[in-house]
Parts: sequence; structure tokens; C-alpha cells
Amino acid sequence: MPTDLSALRARVENAANVLGRCWPLQSYIAANPLAGFEDRPFNEAVRHARALFDGCGYPRANQLRYAWNAGAIDPDHLQERLRAHEQTGPLETLLAELEGAEIRSESPAPRADDPLNRIMAKWLAVFLDQGQAAWSMPHREKGFYAAWREVAPYDTQIPNRASLRTLPERAVDALAAGLDGHPESQWEAILQHHLTALPGWAAFIKWRVQARHDAWQAAHPITLIGYLAARLHTARALGLSVTPNNERSAANRRPPNDDEYAERAAPWLEAWEATYREQLLSDLEIAASTTAQASASPRPNAQLVFCIDVRSEVIRRHLEETGPYETFGYAGFFGLPMQYEAHGTDARVELCPPIVDPKHRIRETPTADSGDAATHDRWQAWAQAGRSLVKSLKQNIAAAFGFVEASGGLFGAALAARTLVPNWLRTGREAWTARIPQPDDFCDLTLDRTPEADTPDGLPVGLAVQEKAAYAEAAFRLMGWDRFAPVVVFTGHGSETANNPYQSSLDCGACAGHPGGPNARVLAAICNESEVRAALRERGIDIPDDTVFLAAQHNTTTDAVQFFATPALTDTQAQIVAQLERDLNTAQDHATAERAPTLRGADLKRSTADTERRAVDWAEARPEWGLSGNAAFIIGRRALTSQCNLEGRAFLHAYDWQADANGTALAQIMTGPLVVGEWINTQYYFSTVDNAVYGSGSKITQNVVGNFGVWQGNGGDLMTGLPLQSLQSDDTTPYHHPLRLMAVVQAPVDRVKRILNRNAQLRMLFDHEWMALAVMDPEQNNAVCRYQPGGTWQDESEPSASTTEDAASVSEPERAMSV
Amino acid sequence: MDATNNEPNWRTEHSLHPLKKIEIIVKGKRETFVQDLLEESGVSGYTIHRNVAGKGTSGFHEGNLLFNDEASLVMFFAVSDESKIQTIIDGLTPLFEKSSGVMFVSDTEVVRLKKFVGKASEQ
Repeated sequence: MPTDLSALRARVENAANVLGRCWPLQSYIAANPLAGFEDRPFNEAVRHARALFDGCGYPRANQLRYAWNAGAIDPDHLQERLRAHEQTGPLETLLAELEGAEIRSESPAPRADDPLNRIMAKWLAVFLDQGQAAWSMPHREKGFYAAWREVAPYDTQIPNRASLRTLPERAVDALAAGLDGHPESQWEAILQHHLTALPGWAAFIKWRVQARHDAWQAAHPITLIGYLAARLHTARALGLSVTPNNERSAANRRPPNDDEYAERAAPWLEAWEATYREQLLSDLEIAASTTAQASASPRPNAQLVFCIDVRSEVIRRHLEETGPYETFGYAGFFGLPMQYEAHGTDARVELCPPIVDPKHRIRETPTADSGDAATHDRWQAWAQAGRSLVKSLKQNIAAAFGFVEASGGLFGAALAARTLVPNWLRTGREAWTARIPQPDDFCDLTLDRTPEADTPDGLPVGLAVQEKAAYAEAAFRLMGWDRFAPVVVFTGHGSETANNPYQSSLDCGACAGHPGGPNARVLAAICNESEVRAALRERGIDIPDDTVFLAAQHNTTTDAVQFFATPALTDTQAQIVAQLERDLNTAQDHATAERAPTLRGADLKRSTADTERRAVDWAEARPEWGLSGNAAFIIGRRALTSQCNLEGRAFLHAYDWQADANGTALAQIMTGPLVVGEWINTQYYFSTVDNAVYGSGSKITQNVVGNFGVWQGNGGDLMTGLPLQSLQSDDTTPYHHPLRLMAVVQAPVDRVKRILNRNAQLRMLFDHEWMALAVMDPEQNNAVCRYQPGGTWQDESEPSASTTEDAASVSEPERAMSV
Repeated sequence: MDATNNEPNWRTEHSLHPLKKIEIIVKGKRETFVQDLLEESGVSGYTIHRNVAGKGTSGFHEGNLLFNDEASLVMFFAVSDESKIQTIIDGLTPLFEKSSGVMFVSDTEVVRLKKFVGKASEQ
């Protein structure tokens, strides 16, 4: 590879730094759209991003007005923050000035590169299609650039399309040719300009490049170089310059007083955050002082482990009120980095966070003598055949007309039933499903290492005993368990929603946007194995013989908790489970009653039935709130939070500082789940403050493209964030409060300092104010200590050791770079 | 050691051949880029060490493989002739303008030259 081409690849990599990450709809992951800017302070990052994406980085004036009127911004905090930003004047006047400084959304003037964007979005949509199109683009197996090069010369939207016939065969050569005449010093600016013209599409390509094992990427590969080569040559064929200056007219840039808006909005955001955080810390301090006096509780009847997800807090609180139960928060993939192959499908689903690679494959396989499997498979086959037939009839040119004539009445009746009596349909479907055996009833999980089931291109199937013990041990150590109840339930979670392309955004983020039930089943089954218990005993974890582990799934739309098939239970265990099921039903009613007033139009008297209707109503744009409202991440014992109503706004990770003397578990929690919490929080933040740029606009005008994404109307950029209806109660009333995440850690402050000193990446997020950190030190009577950007701690005069740099360590890499 | 035409073949097979070695340390998220660069530079092979810890100008980096594969550092090393190593240097130099990472290039010697350079280069 010639030298300049290897430099070109690096320039493309650098230019793509500013792009966020975008996963396909089936595994939607909430991630910071400004992840590429996290190496800069927050206020600087949002201004840079505004210049590139034209997006607002601070809450809108109407959102701040709403918070101010609702009393969510404390006047004292506001005055203090305004003084810090050197802003003075009556608050109402300042707010009015803030509203005046906001850029009104106007129809943007046409841009010179609009035709280019339309053409590129069209080619990307047809190439990347994942089975939605009836007719696929030809030559896709050759890769994007090669396929485009074959077909684009026939695109009548490109005036000088004949010029495309003579392009180089290799994408990298074509890109170099496209940049011909521009020195290397200009490459990054040009490439970044073209990548940020359609940032959603570019972000999705970036994901595809990194997802090497994705089946669609393997079958139809695409690279950023291929896309940029096609884009630059299309621009030239349209008679456009490839340089940034000429292509986007200056008239479309935001006026300079937009910076004024950022300056004016910053103290209001900070005061809003301070108001929430101070209240939270005050509540926790009171709770800590109360519970410190409480004596140790007797052995609970059951312990339930939920995901750290903010939605778990509500159901946990209501369940704990019903009886002698303990609940814990743990990452919803239960620490199992696994790929899951459900019965009757070849698809392998990755059930672990996006920052973890799966390491094991777990298959659902029917037990040897199961007649139920045959019954289930027969019905599945019929249902699949029916769906295929209907799709063929709808898409076949000749059949479509007759099919509509013949089936119109049936479809009309189904449409009416779905709209008018969705609950009735749900009941009918459940009754029908209950008659057909489900895989959960007749399948086992391949938990044991099964080398003969391995495939050359796949992960090892099953786990060795020591691996099983290691995952179980990690779970108990991270959560700081010191005792086991007769019944322990690992509870994954998933959403239930109809006609919703964003369903996976409501499922478990720690399972890459899938329900976490399978992970719960695997960990429960592992913990029931006698060999694993023996291995755990050697590792110092003694599970009593009278403890059984069960798996369940929390339906976050209806707050129902359903058990998976249970192993044989003793009489005592069976009694506890029966009572637990009743108490879970009570907790469901209480939890839905608490949530109902937040959902517009909810039936407050029949809140559970109302959530069940939302779960199946195909016209319901707000089935549930997902993680809306999230603002805090609390790492500590449940005793710290159990007396507080956290209103479903806090991630809760169980942690016992006394069981983790060397801080290993806390380091794992802070560099894993907490970082994912920051991803989620920033996604909700930016989707709220500028829904058109960082979110995905209204669901009403969205269309699914290629089965992997959405766009507005019938073209344009791929929308990467959350829809308006996931964040706002109506067009003007925000539901999600755009506040940056507050991490609260109950641990000795020296331990947290050590962890920050050893994890520069994590410390950067606090130093750059992407999230805030407070430590409640149990060795100092739970006194609150706040981390300050730069490495100091509030109420402490001495700077942290983390702020000093070792000169020797600086010089060595620099010398190496000069080689 | 000097090999003359009169000496038996086994002597020449065990002689050492000078080559260049490159060691690269980058953040986990750059693994794909560096791997592609190495593949396309024409080097015959390379080694990857994942979950490397250490300290640089931006502070200490330590991976926690249980929950975060991306936080750790990745180390590559490869051995090849000077021109291929130069291609890698030319691809990494612009990268390090924008993201953290280091590379070290040093002289090294190998016995089985064919393992590290193609036949053409050997001739």
C-alpha cells in the first residue's frame, strides 16, 4: 500500500472521530451523540458540535421556563451560578433575555449540497437494506463502492453520470482521486465536512465497520472510505466543489449570537442540576443516618436481583413494602457476556453491553423426548408460512389487486379491533399462546461446555464449571452479598409495545437492546448446579442447601414480573414463591398507579389495565417512558436508598464497601455500568435539548428505512436519537429533565480517588463535566465529598495526586513518536 | 557471523537477518483501524496483546475486562522490512495527531527471514 494511501486511511479515521455511534433498530443502544467530543470540556464540546451539526447543546428556553415555573430550579442556586458566570439582573429579565437570544426554528434555506445529500441517502438506503425492499440493489456482495460504481452511471438524478464509468476500481484509489488537487493538510477538513453532512448515515456506517461479525456487514460490506469516494465523485458529477466553503452557503450557518444563548443558558442548566442533586444528597444523608441506627434484619424470604435500570427502582420499592424481601441492582446482563440462540431461529443475539464482546454461545435446545417441541414447531411453521404468503400476495404485482379485493374486509376488521379493543386482542392472543407449548417449557439451555456444537465461525458453546463459578462469584462479590434467602430471583427486563420501531430502546440496554430474561435464566441455572456451588464454596461463597435460584422477567410497560419455568421446589420454597407472586401482583398495581399520572390520558383508577392496553395498542405513541427522567447513578447498599422515593430517576447498583477492601468491585462498577449510564444519560439529554438534530423527531412522521433505521418522511439523514414522544408529554411539555448524570458512590473517599487515578478515561468524564461525582464516605459518617473538575474535592484543600503529571512518563512516548 | 559458499547449508539457515520491529500501543477502540493498517501494509503477521495497562501523558489506563473491553489499551507488534514498517508509520503518524497512542520502532534480527518478508523481498 503506497504511503499516501495509508495516510489517507488515517485521515478518514480522524475525520470520523466526531461521529457518534448508531446501532440498528433491532439493538438500539442509547449512546452519547457527542462521544467523539468527550475529550473536551462539556461547554467547549457542545459549541464545537454546534458548528458541525448545527445542534443546540443546552436546554431550550421553553424547557428552562418550564423548570423555573415548576420550581425545579432553586433561586439561591440560580443566583450563585449566575454570579459565577458574571451575569446580573432580575431573574425574570434574565429569563426573558435568554428567550430572546434563542434561535427560533425556521425553515432552513436550501443548501447547495441538498441534491448531493438526497442522492447519497438514496444509495445508502438501497445498499444497506436489511430485507425490507422487495427488489434488492444488484452487486451488493461486492461492497458499497463497487456496487455503486456499477449502478450509479444509470442514475438519472446525476447530470454528468457518464463520468462515473471511468472511476478506479478500488475505493481508496477513487477517494484519493476525489481529493486530487488538495494537499494532505486539507484532507481532514474536507472529509469531515462530507461525513457530517449526513451524520446519521455516517455514524451507522462507522458502526457497521466496527461490527465485523454482523451478518449484514459480512454479506454486504461497506466502509467510510467507500462511502466518501462515492460521495466526492457524485459531488463532482453534480458540478459541486468538494471543499467545505463553497458547498454550504454562509447564510445557513447559525448567527453569531447563538453563542450568547449557550452562555446565558449554562447557569440555568447548572442551577437546575444543583437543585436536583442537593435534594437527592440531602435525602440520602437523612436516610443514611436513619438506617445506621437500625439493627440487622432477619433472613429475608426472598432476594430479587433487578437491572440497574431506573425503571427497576419503582417496582423494587413497591415490592419491598409488601413483605420480607431484599432487592439488589446489578447490570441487566448479569455479568454474562453471551450470545444467545433461541429455539427455532438461526439468529444469534448478543446479550451483553456494547462495550463488551460476547465470549460464550448459549443455545436453547429441546429436551430429547419432547413432543411439545414438535407441536410448537408445527404451529410456528404454519404462522411463518402464513406471513410469507401474505407478504408475497401484497408485493406481487399481479396478485396485489385481487388480494386487496378479497381480503380487504378481513384486514379492515383486524384494523378496527386493534384500534378499538386492543386489550381484547391481547387476552385472545394470550389464551391462544397458552394452548401452544412455548420453548421455555420444553427447552434446556446448553450451559455445559459442548465442543461438538461449536462452529468454526462461532463462539464456544456453553461454559466450563470454573467459568460458571467465576460469573456467579463476580455477581455476588460486586453486589456485596453476605447471605442467601431460601429463594433468589434474577429478574431481567423487557418492554411490551406494538407497532414501535423503537421497541429495543425500551428493552435492556445492558443486553444490547434486548430483553434480559435469557441471561437471568442462565445465571439462575448455573447457581443451582451442585458442581458450581462446590466451586463457589472453595472461593469463599457458601450457598445454603435450602436456597434455590429462579429466573424472571420484569415487563417494564406493565410492571408485571413473570417467572420462567421453575426447578423442583421444597414445600417452604413453593410457599414463598406463591406468596411472592401475589406480592408481585400487588407491587405491580402500586407501581402502575404511581406511573399512571405521568402518562397523559391514563385511566388512573385502572392503572394496570391501562398499561396493559398501552402494551398492545398499535396507535399508542407513549407505551412507557423508558429511561426518561434519569439523572442519578447510585452505587451503594440498598439501605442507603430504600427509604427514599427516587421517582424512577436513579440507576441503582448494589455495592457493599465493607466487602471490597481493595476496591476491585467498585472499579468494575465505575468503569462499566456507570460509563454505560453516562451513555444513556447523554443520549436522553441531547435528544431532549435538540430533538431535530440529536433525537429523531416526531414518531408521527417517521418511516422505517431498510429495517435498520428511521428517517423523517421519505428521505434525508438517518435519525439516530430518541423520538419526541419518548421525551415529552406533548409538543411543548418536557417529561425528561435534561440534566447531566450525578454519580453517588457510598465508599471511602480514598478508595474512589485510587480508582480515578488508575482510570484516566473515567476521570476525564468527570473532569470534563459530562457527569458529576459525589462520594458518601461511610468511614466518615457518610459525609458527602464532591469531586471537582481538575482533581480536587470540595471541602478539601489539598489537590488530588491525580492532578500531578510525571515528567518522565511524558517524555518517553514523545521520544517514541519522533522515530 | 560470515557465511561462505564452502560452508554447509545449515549454517546459512541459522544466520540472523536484520529487520525492523514496530510496537504500537493504542486505545481499545482503535484496534480495528490498526489491524486493518497492518493487514494492508503487507506485513506477514503481527501479535496483539489485549488488556494492557500503563501510564502516558493522559494518565493511567487500566482495563476491566468484566464490564468494559474498550477501556483497556491494546498493544501490537510486527516485524518486517523497512519499507513496510514505514508504511505503518505513515498511517499512524496522522492518527496520533488526534488520538492518544505511541509507537516504537527498533532494529531487530530474525532467523527465518521467509516468515517475515515475502519471497520477492528475500531475493
